Amino acid sequence: MIEINNLKKVYNGVTVVNVPRLVINKGESIGLVGNNGAGKTTLFRMILDLIRPESGEVLSNGEKVAGGEIWKNYTASYLDEGFLIDYLTPEEYLYFIGGLHGQNKAQADESLAGLADFFNGEILKKGKYIRDLSKGNQCKVGVGACLLQKPELLMLDEPFANIDPSTQFRLKNILKDQNKNKGVTTIVSSHDLNHVTDVCERILLMEKGVVIKDLATSSSTLTELEEYFGVGQSTAAFNIDKEENH
Amino acid sequence: MGILIFIMFLYVLVLGIFLDKILGKVFPGESIVAAFCGILLIYFLFDLLMRMQLQELPTLKVQPYLHLPVKRNTVVGYLVLSALMSFFNLWPVVIFGPFIIKVILSSSGGIAALTFLVSVIALSIFNNYLALYIKRKANVNGWIFLIVGGLLALLICGDFLWHFYSFRTGSYFFFGNLLTKPYLVLIPLLLAAGMFYFNFIYLKDNLYLEELSSKKSAEFKSSTEIPLLDRLGRVGDLVANEIKLILRNKRPRSALTMGLMFLFYGLIFYTQKAYGESMKVFVGMFMTGIFIISYGQFMFSWQASHFDGILVSKVKFFDFLKAKYLLFTVVSTVAFILTLPYAYFGWRTVMIHFVMYLWNLGINTTIVLFFANRNYKRIDLTKGASFNWEGVGASQLLLSFPLLILPYLVYLPFKFAGYTDLGLAVMAVLGTVFIITRSFWIKKLEADFNKKRYKIAEGFRNK
Repeated sequence: MIEINNLKKVYNGVTVVNVPRLVINKGESIGLVGNNGAGKTTLFRMILDLIRPESGEVLSNGEKVAGGEIWKNYTASYLDEGFLIDYLTPEEYLYFIGGLHGQNKAQADESLAGLADFFNGEILKKGKYIRDLSKGNQCKVGVGACLLQKPELLMLDEPFANIDPSTQFRLKNILKDQNKNKGVTTIVSSHDLNHVTDVCERILLMEKGVVIKDLATSSSTLTELEEYFGVGQSTAAFNIDKEENH
Repeated sequence: MGILIFIMFLYVLVLGIFLDKILGKVFPGESIVAAFCGILLIYFLFDLLMRMQLQELPTLKVQPYLHLPVKRNTVVGYLVLSALMSFFNLWPVVIFGPFIIKVILSSSGGIAALTFLVSVIALSIFNNYLALYIKRKANVNGWIFLIVGGLLALLICGDFLWHFYSFRTGSYFFFGNLLTKPYLVLIPLLLAAGMFYFNFIYLKDNLYLEELSSKKSAEFKSSTEIPLLDRLGRVGDLVANEIKLILRNKRPRSALTMGLMFLFYGLIFYTQKAYGESMKVFVGMFMTGIFIISYGQFMFSWQASHFDGILVSKVKFFDFLKAKYLLFTVVSTVAFILTLPYAYFGWRTVMIHFVMYLWNLGINTTIVLFFANRNYKRIDLTKGASFNWEGVGASQLLLSFPLLILPYLVYLPFKFAGYTDLGLAVMAVLGTVFIITRSFWIKKLEADFNKKRYKIAEGFRNK
């Protein structure tokens, strides 16, 4: 589905993404983890042809993403609020996105009916522009718009960050359903290790722009990731204990 | 955009420096000091009107300090004092300062000049806080703005229309006496201090963000459809979105209302015999195309906040550009129809307007979109338009040259050779040729855009 060769991005002399080779197969569910500044969002942006890489290329279904238009037909993504037209109401925006994919209002309504649980009555017919919604609800609109497009590739950047616990559960179920039952390739980044290991079958761990670990999710993956991210934390906690024992 | 502000500042300064000469011309046979004393209060009356419409409320700046250990009095003091950082407070000093130094200082001495200067500053501070107080109140209740506006209109009518009283005599009475009785300066000083204190107390009692913020209480926002456009497919959808953008955001909306004001531009010039036909070319271009210029100069920046979304969505850039052309065509056509009553000045005027309408649609739209590919500055839609220099850059300045000069480059040679009709015909033909070959130009613009898309998208992402 996605093939990355020698991809490199440099900002002010600092290499923020450096991926020599990465292949994501059709039907995989990818979880992207890494601390702030690891290059997750930059990688997303390059896969979506929003940033010009210093070198290398991204292929989607064997075709170059840069300058291409075909990948837009089957790729749906939500990285941040910058993807939403914020002066529209959610309905107007969703119908617009549906219209781009040749759906009339009735067809769009039909798809949206399936999202009623996810929207939890907070999105449609509330009489608000998207800019007046909370960040969590904006995220729901963005994810909803993605699903409306019936994509083959779904990319979400930290979708769990702002949504409430119930919506997190629903989103996890949606992602699993899309991947298992509809064969959608999903790429999701998150800081919540529990969520990613739950939803994704393959975890990519990024550090300073490099994919340092590529794990197939198993029962030990969560512990392995916690060990990586917990470095320093446990010793610090230990030190504090010592101080208090004095 | 420092240069533009600097140029405007220079204009005002020149006005200030030559104020004595101007007053001498406008009020012949009167002493210029008397004339000066007469206009001061009138200036401040209109200053208040201007401020009520244009001055922005400085509010959200305090948010980062509210939860820190900073005393409430300090925060409120900061908020109130920072409200003085406004162009409106600079103008009176720049306009009247030179006159006071040149004329009052030499004729009435240092103390009189000082009291004048202090009075002018005090009155502008008074106006500053009065306008802000009214605006704050009006945010809570919209009627207050209308009531105050009505009162001011009545005050002005009472003087200039019904002649119940005269601001000029009142102004002359006060400032004339100030020349000989310097202690009168206490009156404007007390007014200013009182208004300052009044604002201070009001803000201190209402130091909650929801009460300070300039957002009005939310009403139900309904989804709307714009008729006819939905039949035009994707391009129509894009135009509908953009029309909503214009109508639902403050700054682009004022670009549109400015376009409406410009429709009266012709009345100023056509009623004067001194202006010839070449003026009509100029005025006609502005009346039918002001929207293309005022809205188009910030093209793509309007959509900066969701530009990433446009780039990854299934919108073909060809359609995106076509939608821009369609939007310009719709608005300019409406503007042209609205200028039809200028037939009163002869059908030839309408004909010139039509030529310029074609020119706008054919050439100016293409120029504007060409420069849009070179505009990397983000615009925050929610902020007001007046004195908002956000998104203004060199590209706007460069853009104005071809827009203003090109029509004359074509027209004037024919005019000087004595073939004005031929000149107009050539312009009409050029405009029409560009309209017919639009697809070609859109292709060119698309190719040009693809070279610059990363730079544009990155510029728009930088807040």
